[in-house]
Parts: sequence; C-alpha cells; structure tokens
Amino acid sequence: MPETNYDQEMAFFVDMQRCIGCHACEMACAECETNGQESMIHVNYVNRAVSVQTTVQVCMHCENPACANVCPADAIHQDDFGVVHSSNTSRCIGCSNCVLACPFGVPKKMEEAELMMKCNMCYDRTSAGKKPMCATVCPSQALYYGTREEIERMRPNSVPVNSFKFGNQEVKTKVSIMMPKGTHQLVIA
Amino acid sequence: MAKLPVSVDQIIEKYGPHKAYAPKAGFYGSHEPDKLVKTHCCYCGMQCGIQLKVKDNKIAGFEPWMEFPFNEGRLCPKGVERYLQNNHPDRLLDPIARVEGKGFEPVTWDYAMNKTISEIERIQAKYGRDAFAMLSGVSLTNEKSYMIGKFARVALKTANLDYNGRLCMVSAGGGNKKAFGLDRSSNSWADLAHAEVIIVAGANISETFPTLTHYIWQARDNGAKLIVVDPRVIPLARTADLHLPIRPGGDSALFAAMLKILVDNDWLDHDFIESYTSGFQETIDAVKDYDLDWAEEHTGIPKQKILEAATLWGKAKTSFLLHARGIEHHTKGVENVLSCINLVLATGRIGKPYCGYGTITGQGNGQGGREHGHKCDQLPGNRDITNPEHRQYIAEVWGIDEKDMPGKGLTAYEQIEAIHRGEIKGLISICFNPLVSLPNNNFVREALEKLEFYICIDSFLSETARHADIVLAGSLHEEEEGTVTTAEGRVVKINEAITPPGNARRDGQILMELAKRLGVENKFNYATSEDIFNELRVASKGGTADYFGITYQKVVDNMGIFWPCPSLDHPGTPRLWEDRKFKTPDGKAHFNPVRYRPASEVTDKDYPVVLTTGRVVSQYLSGTSTRRIGKLVDQYPEPLLEIHPKLAFQYGIKDRDLITVKTRRGEAEFPAQVVETIRADTVFIPYHWGGVHAANQLTIGNLDPISKIPEFKVCACQLIPTGKVASALTTKNAYQSGV
Amino acid sequence: MYRLFKTLNRVAFIKATIMTILVIIFVLIGSRNLQNFDPALIAYLTGTVFAVFGTSYRYSVWIQRPPTRLYRRRSVQFLFSKHFFPYFLRSIRLFIRNILFQRFIAYRSRTRWIGHFLLASGCLLAFAITIPLTFGWINFILKPGDDTTYYAMLFGFEAGSFRLGSTLAFITFHGLVWCSVLVTIGAVIMMKRRFTNGGLIATQTFEDDLLPLILLIAISVTGLGISYDYTFLEGKTYQFMAVTHAITVILFLVWLPFGKFFHIYQRFSQLGANLYKIEGSRRGMAVCPHTKKEFASQTHINDLKKVTKELGFDFSKEDGSNHLDLSPEGKRSALAKAHFEARQESGHFFG
Repeated sequence: MPETNYDQEMAFFVDMQRCIGCHACEMACAECETNGQESMIHVNYVNRAVSVQTTVQVCMHCENPACANVCPADAIHQDDFGVVHSSNTSRCIGCSNCVLACPFGVPKKMEEAELMMKCNMCYDRTSAGKKPMCATVCPSQALYYGTREEIERMRPNSVPVNSFKFGNQEVKTKVSIMMPKGTHQLVIA
Repeated sequence: MAKLPVSVDQIIEKYGPHKAYAPKAGFYGSHEPDKLVKTHCCYCGMQCGIQLKVKDNKIAGFEPWMEFPFNEGRLCPKGVERYLQNNHPDRLLDPIARVEGKGFEPVTWDYAMNKTISEIERIQAKYGRDAFAMLSGVSLTNEKSYMIGKFARVALKTANLDYNGRLCMVSAGGGNKKAFGLDRSSNSWADLAHAEVIIVAGANISETFPTLTHYIWQARDNGAKLIVVDPRVIPLARTADLHLPIRPGGDSALFAAMLKILVDNDWLDHDFIESYTSGFQETIDAVKDYDLDWAEEHTGIPKQKILEAATLWGKAKTSFLLHARGIEHHTKGVENVLSCINLVLATGRIGKPYCGYGTITGQGNGQGGREHGHKCDQLPGNRDITNPEHRQYIAEVWGIDEKDMPGKGLTAYEQIEAIHRGEIKGLISICFNPLVSLPNNNFVREALEKLEFYICIDSFLSETARHADIVLAGSLHEEEEGTVTTAEGRVVKINEAITPPGNARRDGQILMELAKRLGVENKFNYATSEDIFNELRVASKGGTADYFGITYQKVVDNMGIFWPCPSLDHPGTPRLWEDRKFKTPDGKAHFNPVRYRPASEVTDKDYPVVLTTGRVVSQYLSGTSTRRIGKLVDQYPEPLLEIHPKLAFQYGIKDRDLITVKTRRGEAEFPAQVVETIRADTVFIPYHWGGVHAANQLTIGNLDPISKIPEFKVCACQLIPTGKVASALTTKNAYQSGV
Repeated sequence: MYRLFKTLNRVAFIKATIMTILVIIFVLIGSRNLQNFDPALIAYLTGTVFAVFGTSYRYSVWIQRPPTRLYRRRSVQFLFSKHFFPYFLRSIRLFIRNILFQRFIAYRSRTRWIGHFLLASGCLLAFAITIPLTFGWINFILKPGDDTTYYAMLFGFEAGSFRLGSTLAFITFHGLVWCSVLVTIGAVIMMKRRFTNGGLIATQTFEDDLLPLILLIAISVTGLGISYDYTFLEGKTYQFMAVTHAITVILFLVWLPFGKFFHIYQRFSQLGANLYKIEGSRRGMAVCPHTKKEFASQTHINDLKKVTKELGFDFSKEDGSNHLDLSPEGKRSALAKAHFEARQESGHFFG
C-alpha cells in the first residue's frame, strides 16, 4: 500500500434509523476521488408504499469478505487495515459474483464498463487522515466516522455491533451498526 | 411587453433549464485547487459552512468546512451540489434584451442600462412613481437587501417594494412582533441539545432543513421526546415519540386545545405569567370551550394523542417549539404562530438554557433579508416606515429629506394584483421567480403579460425572467462578498470566491450603476461590500435588529455573531430574553387570544379533497438553480401527487396513474404516489416546478390579513383519474417548466 | 525453500512443466533443430521459457479456485451447447471488441482507453514479432547470388520476399520501432493519470501500478535506442543498448507471471462471463422476493450458493430459503427491517 496516514483509531458507525433519506451521502460519495463521480453508497426506501423508512448502506468491510472470496479474478483486495478495496480495474471481468454474493448488497456493477465498483471507505480521504465524504456530510449522522470513545459518549444507550447473522452464516465486519444496549448481533431473518 | 417573445420551447432550448453534471474525473483543478474559500451554502436558512475549491477563477468543487460550529462539515444534497452553478452552461453571460419573434439577444451594458432608465422614467412620468414597482428576494445578502431597500426609496422613489419573504416567514415575523416586539428565533440551535420535549409543527426539517436534523437527534440521544405535527409522516416523524397527523388548517385548533389542557391541569408558570406577560386572562378565556372532542373534530387528530402531547409539554422542565411554513402559509398564519407562542409563554419556558422557541426561516437570508428594509412597510433595523421617528432617523442616514421618502407600499401578492388591475405598469425584479412560487400562477402570468416594461436581474433565465424585456446578468452567492443572517440569528460572512463569468456583473454593481443613472450616484458610493455593511450598521443602530456592534472582522473571528449586538464590545446574543425585557411597548411578552377559524377555502361536495403543498429535499424554492443541477433533478424528477391508499381506492387510483387535480383556479396532471404516509382526506404536491407541472396553478391567493402571506397550505380540490399511466416521458422534462 | 515445496501446487507444477517442455519442443521443431535459431537471442529465449513456466503455473493455480473453476466449466459447457454458433460468433465479436480493442475501458474514461489501447496494441504487436523470432520460427535470409532480395523463412519454409530498401522492408525491419512508439505514448498517458488523479494516487502501489509502466517505457526506450544507434551512430553504442534492452525485457518476462501483466491472460475470462450472462438469462431469471423484480439469472444464484458453500459460507436459512435469493436492494432492506425491529423492540430509536 502507498504511504498512508490512515488512522486505525477511527471507525465507521451506521445507524439507519437516524437516516432521513436525503441522499446527501450519495451526492458526496461521487465527490470521492477514487470513484470518479460514481456513487458507491446506497440509499433506498425500504417500502415507500407504507413508510418513509430509508436505509443507507456503505461497505461493511467484512473480516472475511464474501465478495473477495467469490471473485474469480482475484480482483478484490483487503489491505492491512481491513479495508476491502474496490475491484482492481485491470483484473475485474465484470462477472457480478461479488454483487450477488455480498450479504449486505454493496458492490455495484457498472454494466457498460464491465467493472464492479464498491465503497472503499473513501480511501483517498481516510488515508490522508480525513473522514469519508458520506459520514462527513451526513446531516442526521446516521453515518458517523470517529473514535469508539466518541460514539460511546454521544450515544450512551446504544452499542456498536459488528456481528451479523444471515441464515446460518455469521459475518463479522470492520464497520459497526448502532444497536440497543445489550445487543451483540443483528440477526437478519 | 411582458409576453414571451418566442415559444417556451425555443427559450428553453437556449437558456435551459438544462441539467448539469460534474465531469467524470471532476472539474479541472478539483484535485489541486488554487484556493479553498470559506463561505456558506446559498440554499436555506441554515447557511451551512462550506469551502469552495477555486481553480482559474472557476468553482472546481467543494470541501467540507469542519470547523464551522453550526454544521461541522454536514451538508444536505443541495449543499453538496451547490458548486455546480458557476460553471453552468445556462449562466447568463451578458445582458439580454427581448426581441419579438426572435427571443433574447445579447446587448451591451450601456444599451441595457439606457433602455431600463428611459423606461423607468417614461412610466413614472406617465403613471406616477408608484406605478413602477420592485420585487426582491431574501436569498440575497444583508448588504444587497439593505441596498435594495434604499434603492427603491431613494433611486426609484417608489413605495411599491416588496420581497419573496412574503411567501416565507412573514406570519412568524408578524406573530413574533406582536408577542415579543422583535422578529427573531428566540434561541440558537444549541438550546435544542437538552430540551426535554421538542414540538416541531409544520416544519419538514428532514427535507427542508436537513442539517438541523442533527440537533434534533442529538436532543433525542439525550432523552428528548419529539412531537411532530404534520399531515404527513415526514422522515422526522417516522420514529417520533408522537406524530400528530393534523388536517391542514387545523393548527390553531390544536394549539388552543393544548393551551386549555395546560390551564385545566395547572401546568403553568404563574410567576412568569404574572411578572413578565400580559393578556393571559383574555387568552385563556378564548380557549375555554375547546375541549378534546372539539379539538379532535377540528384537527382530525385522535384526542388521546392531543392529550398526550399537551401532557408531555405541560410536565416538561425544558422544551423547544419549532415551526415553519406548515403553520405559517395560512390566511390565519399569524394566529397559528401566536397560538404556539401562547403555549411557550404559559409554561414560561423561554430565555433560559434549553428552553426555546423559534420559526425556522426558509430562505438563505430569510432572517437578515427581512430586517433591513426591503419589505413594503419596513426600514433598516426592522424599523417601521410609517413611524415618523424611524423615518427621520433613516432619512438622515441616507442623506435625504424625510418628506421625499415614500410611504408603505403593496405586499408581493398585492403588487401582482395591482399589476393585473393595471395600476402598476413597470416592474424590476431580482432574485424572485413569482411565476413558480406565487399561488394561482395563471393569474400571475396574466398579470406579467400586462406589464409595459419588465426588467429582471438574475444569473439564470428563470420562468419569470422569460417574460422580461431586459435581463441583466447578475451574480451568484459565491460571486459577491457580504453577510447573511442565519435562521438562528447568526450573522455570517459570505466570501467572494470568484468574479462573475463573462460580462455578468455583481448585483451590487448593477444596482449602483442604475442608481447613478437615476441621478443619485452620491447616495450609492460604495467601494466595497463592507462599506455597505458599515452604513447598514449605523442604519440599524437603535432598531430592534441592531447590528451596530457587528463588524466583518468580528464575524470572521467568531465564525458568526448573533444580533442584537448594539456595541462594538458586545459579544452578541445567542439566547434572547434572558433579561425578561421584551421589546414590546410595555416591555412584557404578550399573550394573544386566538379563536379558531377555518381556512379560506374548505372542502365541499364539488371540491371534496384537501390539497396541501410543500417541498422535497433535492429542490430549493422555485428551482431556478436547483432544477439545473442534474443529480438534484434526477433524485426527484417530477412532482408527484401523494395520496393515501384509502382515498386512492375510492377513485380507483393506482400508483403512477396520471391524475388531473382541479381547483377553482386551475388544473394539472400529476402521477399518483399511493402511500400510507399521508392523511386519507388530504393530498400533497411539491411546488418547485413551473409550467404544466406547477402545483401553484392550483393554490389559492387569499392572504393573511396581517402578514399578507398566501394560503399555500390549504385549498380544496377534486381528483379526476385520466385513465392513463404516467410514462417516463412526462418525467423527463418536468424540470424545464415547459408546456 | 522447504516452505516453497510445501505450498507447491502439484497439479499446477505438472501442468507448467508440460507446457514448458512443449514450448521447448516447439522451439526445436520450429527452428529446425536450432538451425534457424539466432544464438544472440538465447537470453531472451531463456526468459520466455521461464515466463511460460511461471504463467502456466499461476494460471493453473488460479483456475483451481472454486469460483474460477466454476466459471471456466460453465463457459466451456455453454459455448459447446446447442447454441454453439451464435455463442462462438458472439465470442469472436467480443474478442475483437474487448480484447483487441478494449472498448469497455472507454466507458470508464476516453483518454484512459486511448492510452491503454496504444499500450496494449504496441505490446501485442511486439509479442507477435519477437516471439517467433526468439523461437527461431522466423528468420530472414539473403539468397546466394541475389543481394537485393530478402527472404522471410517461416519454420524454415520460404514465406515471402521483399527487396532491400523497399518501403515494405523499411516497415518490416522497423516493426518494433513502431511498437515502441505506441507503447511509449500509451504508457505516458497512463502514467500522467497516475500522477494527477487523486483517487489513483491514494490507492496505487509502486510495484503494481507504476513499475509496470516504467518497465514498458524502459523496454521501449532502450529498444528505440538500438535502432537509433545503428541508424545514426553506426553501432558505436550497440553493446550498451543491447545489454540494457535485454535486461529490461528479461525483467519483464520474469515478472510476467507475478505482477500486473498477468491480467492479460485473465482478461479472456471476460468472454466467459459474457456467455454466462446470456445463457443464464435464457435459462430463466431470479426474482427478488422483496423488490419483486428480476435481478440476475437463476443459474447464477444457484451456482453462487454452491460456490459460497465450497468457500465456507452458508447463507441458507432454516425455512429452506437463502439470503442469496434476495437482490442487493432486497438484502439492504432486509437488514434495515431487522434493525428497525430491534430498535422498536428496545423501545428507543435513539440514545
């Protein structure tokens, strides 16, 4: 990896119940220089007919990323900080395995470019000691980037959880989701 | 001649709106800009801090400004995309003149100015000075707002100057002046953090002031209970502790009933009421019959919820009440506001930490712009144009004879009515797009077409500017230095990042040139924006909105100063009323009796459905600039008719069906969006679009008797399914306001 | 050394060894028992043979991975199905479009495509010229008694002739010069991106992204140097030019299996991915239970369930369904709903 100021004290916390669906993160994501005006973050209504609930999804940066495992071209790289990078453009063959295997629904296939792209935690910014674009601009702070101490102080009744269960599969991630105190895992039935 | 010179399509082809996107690799220089300029977002009263990247005198991108205390880098989608205006292909780079049958053609500044002056002089000589009117807007800086007030009175010498704040928060201003004698949010947002109960009434914070959401959520993290009053489940209401789904027009009924519950349970601060207020008895007498059953009937809210809200409010030790256009855009807007203030005063929770009240101003400089004299009845420092002392003081500051100062003129919508009646013949407008933003816009169009001469100052050719004889290419927010005052009363600095492109000029420069040619050059001798501000400081001195102690340097050093700030050593006033000295003549806060009365147009068998209007997060007001930014347009491409499944079922309406919505003023087709998040007796349409997609073809022009705000938020409509399903084609060009 | 043997992939080693032996045999046959082999190229030959071994080894290891193996199997299966002809033609078309012309890159950026196309074309042409020369498959001779006509010999058979000093001769003998020019322009375009694009600066590494470009430029420049030397300097610096050129080329060859250049081989699987998509949609699309929309082929979803299982992931649920049945949007919504419910149950959305 190139020379870096990546701060390992800093972590990413998501609480989609705070999300107001404004898409500021999506607009800001396109300003991240690693993805050239393409947005990698996902904001969508859960079911607009009944609710204005939106969800916001960044890459969770799995400890053992399914996307990288299923990649037939070895195009997805996890670095020493645990950041799972966007596909290596020279290798990616645009097969969409990662798009369909990611349990969080994160990678995007750019159809015409035959290329997968995904959130890399604004590596251009985080490696320079700055916060990712989405978490910087998020007006509801559904996306928060800071230290564990900071989040614990600000949201004393919540706890960061980085363990998920999809079917029989447990997935551990670098990014945490804010849950009620006493929760250790989010089970997706 | 204010008719379109050629077809709308031909105008659109040349002047847009066209959707602009950043180039794939970003603008040239975005990676290594020449400089980062600290300034503020041009949209909405939050005035979030932002840094603009500048390369070769062009805006190349933005970088969050982490240190600015209000938003600490946070932005909404409009804020993120705001930087796309400067490089926009639709920018007016020259003054243009209307040529019948040909459209608009670029002209020299000299020609444009000469033509303008000769027409002003002709019309004023023939029909009288007041036959030439001016309309302005409060997305302009304090300096420009002040200068326009002076320009209209001193250079144009017309009484008819008003502004688009008339569509914004004038009801709140009217209510605040009556109750407190001063028009400003009583607190800074910092007081939200530990408020136990927060009432948000008619304020779609999550879409219209997204960055304020953080303060509400922070309060909830600290245990605050959130009560949202809104006919729709807005994103803020989804997780609220209590959502009161009010029928549009029922606001004063709700707050009156809540006041009665406070009285019945003695949840009152008697000491405060006794010592610092007046009018309490008449006020509670007015609500004594408003019991819960009555309230349920008149608000459409289940009575249990009303009781719960009143109980939460009554028992709280700290609280904050916020409202916005939802309760203000009514023919009883001022009464709605006063009924809110009554709740605040009854509990005495004001002027103390975490006890707050305020309107959330919508426009970029909605606060500052309404203080320094570009309202028809106002002079700088929030002075009264009919008050002889006030007139005398300002006449001295301006160096004119008090007798030469025009008196009170017509408000914005009244001006349009006067144009329609043929009383006003000429108009100059800046930063105002009434053809989209005023109600009943078929009437507004008819009025515009009757003008003998219409001149417009703008940076893009708005829907209204299409009717102009001359359009003077003006400047953007980032192209002229100045200050604005945010919704919390914080004066902040707008910095010039770049100079206007092409032959476009700074708005201030244009006004000064016009003043010079109108023969009053000596009254408009400003070398810099700071010169204007320094004159404004003096003009506001001693007024309620006192800026005298605020200087550019102080604003920059402190990242904003809260007015009132009467002297240079004064630190500013984030929280009002700590001294309990109200600005009313008797020094007390005034309760005002409010008896409920219905909206000006109620449903009947011909028009059985309530229509309400509002905004979406990706657009700003009439969309003159935001409907030109590609990603903002794509996020919500066309206005949709939000309708509850129960009501939809009655009419056999399915999602995406094309529905004709008809009122006594007009009709238009909108695709249905069938959602459970709205009352079953009400439909909602956002208003940012013009032409055939304009919701304001339907709205009503009836005004509040005090504030003269139109009743955008309630009217009666009928729904007629067209039998067609909306196609992607209708979506495609809605942003252009074609026909 | 012990570790190397321990982690040695036996299948790959055997395959690579066979490939290497085959290449050596082809060299022997093609050069008529080294009769037409130019001994000056021995270093190049050694490098190439090593590259063949390394590349084959890595390629073999690569296609043993479950997802790759599955893709390869499916590609062969789908190509040789009853739709052979349309699929074959499609593959040819895609080969020209995406492998020879790399058109898909244009959708990422136009200049990037131009850069890559020049660079890739230069390289491919250069391979086409140098490999047969190095292997001794092609050589040029003058026939006794005729010193104005050159004869090109392919596998020892006469394959063409041209007059000395003719335009054709000039073009032929300067083939590598043209290649070098293409490569240099392309590499400079690509290099410029890497110095000016903030995103690339943040994520690139020297060995993976800059070194390959530097190496290509070095090969081209030293190659041009040889040409320059014998055209203008009468061979005064021949020794130096030849040695530096040989060093850069051999570095390139030795590094081919390990670094970025390996993507040249991987790129072919893009053709398979395309067939997979077409045949998959022909067989039927999967519908997301949440969005109720088609989002991928059912074959793809079924295959992924198997592949993930092989890789140690089990997304199956107790009711017999599988998390992978959901579209990406469906998965995101499922997570949001689960989170909403957890928050709601706790009684507090905030705090």
